[in-house]
Amino acid sequence: MNFRRFILPTMIATGLLAAATLGVQQASAHHAFAAEFDGKSPVLLRGKVTKIEWINPHAWVHVNVVEGAKETEWMVEGGTPNTLLRAGIDRNSLKPGTEIVVRGYQSKDKACTPICKANGRDVTFPDGRKLFMGSSGTGAPKDGADATEAPK
Amino acid sequence: MIRAFLVWLQTALGKGAGDTAQSWSEALLGSLNFWGLLEGSHLIGLMLFAGTILIVDLRLLGVTFRRTPVSVVSDTILPLTIFGFIFVVITGMGLFFAKPLFYYHNIWFRVKMIMLAIALINILVFHSRIQRTQGSWDSDALPPAGARTAAALSLSAWLVVITFGRLIAYDWFECGKPQPAFINWAEECKVSEKGAVALSGAHP
Repeated sequence: MNFRRFILPTMIATGLLAAATLGVQQASAHHAFAAEFDGKSPVLLRGKVTKIEWINPHAWVHVNVVEGAKETEWMVEGGTPNTLLRAGIDRNSLKPGTEIVVRGYQSKDKACTPICKANGRDVTFPDGRKLFMGSSGTGAPKDGADATEAPK
Repeated sequence: MIRAFLVWLQTALGKGAGDTAQSWSEALLGSLNFWGLLEGSHLIGLMLFAGTILIVDLRLLGVTFRRTPVSVVSDTILPLTIFGFIFVVITGMGLFFAKPLFYYHNIWFRVKMIMLAIALINILVFHSRIQRTQGSWDSDALPPAGARTAAALSLSAWLVVITFGRLIAYDWFECGKPQPAFINWAEECKVSEKGAVALSGAHP
């Protein structure tokens, strides 16, 4: 039996396997969250909804945040339209003009150009209801917002 | 002209009357299930396509199935590759249709399309030139340099296509962000809705 011809395939297979393992670890540790958002920059945004983009793969809630005389336009990333619907958030509960409080994390890129961006974790409605608005398993900090995930 | 067509595709095609009417593209992008189904199918189709082309390319490189003639490997496996490719192209066009302008101004997508074109030209060259002499090396454990080059090019091109396809999801180089002039140029940000924003300190 000539084992020499198995050397290259074995090396390639090992390389691919190592890459895949690294990739999976990377995905479970970060996935989309850490690529774009900063888990060390929590934000609490209070303001009126100006616009909602009910789009895949992430819905975007635009909020006009008023702090004193300063108005800042934020766009907050949520789950998919499907995820939000199942969490109890739809076109009727989140109409433009609704006063909400969003807890989330700012994007890594803090230039706020053309607009400030954040990843939304939960949203509090005028009636006090607080709902999870993100996606599970993205690698966002375990802050208790996601009921499906074990607290730290 | 391409952009004008894409604007029509995204905002006008299939749009009815009324304030809340959506075009077909907008409806697909906002769909509860269909978009996710398309994306999932695109990835599953990709596994079939990329997985099978990998086997053929590795045979041409003289790495796998060295005692099996190239024609036996490719005649058995390539039909699956072709099926996978058609499937991936159809679902990919569906995903593109959901947000044409986003992809049009996306650097990852643009590089992906260029690599896709290179990969397809490589296939044409392989079939029209290299394969003409296949009879003389069909059973060789190590096919000639021309065939191996084509296989290596194919492998690399598809890897880049897949990697850049995945990277489309990340917003690092979105138009409207302050970014280097060559990225604004490569994405044609100037004509995009968000415009081209130069890095602070740089000339616009």
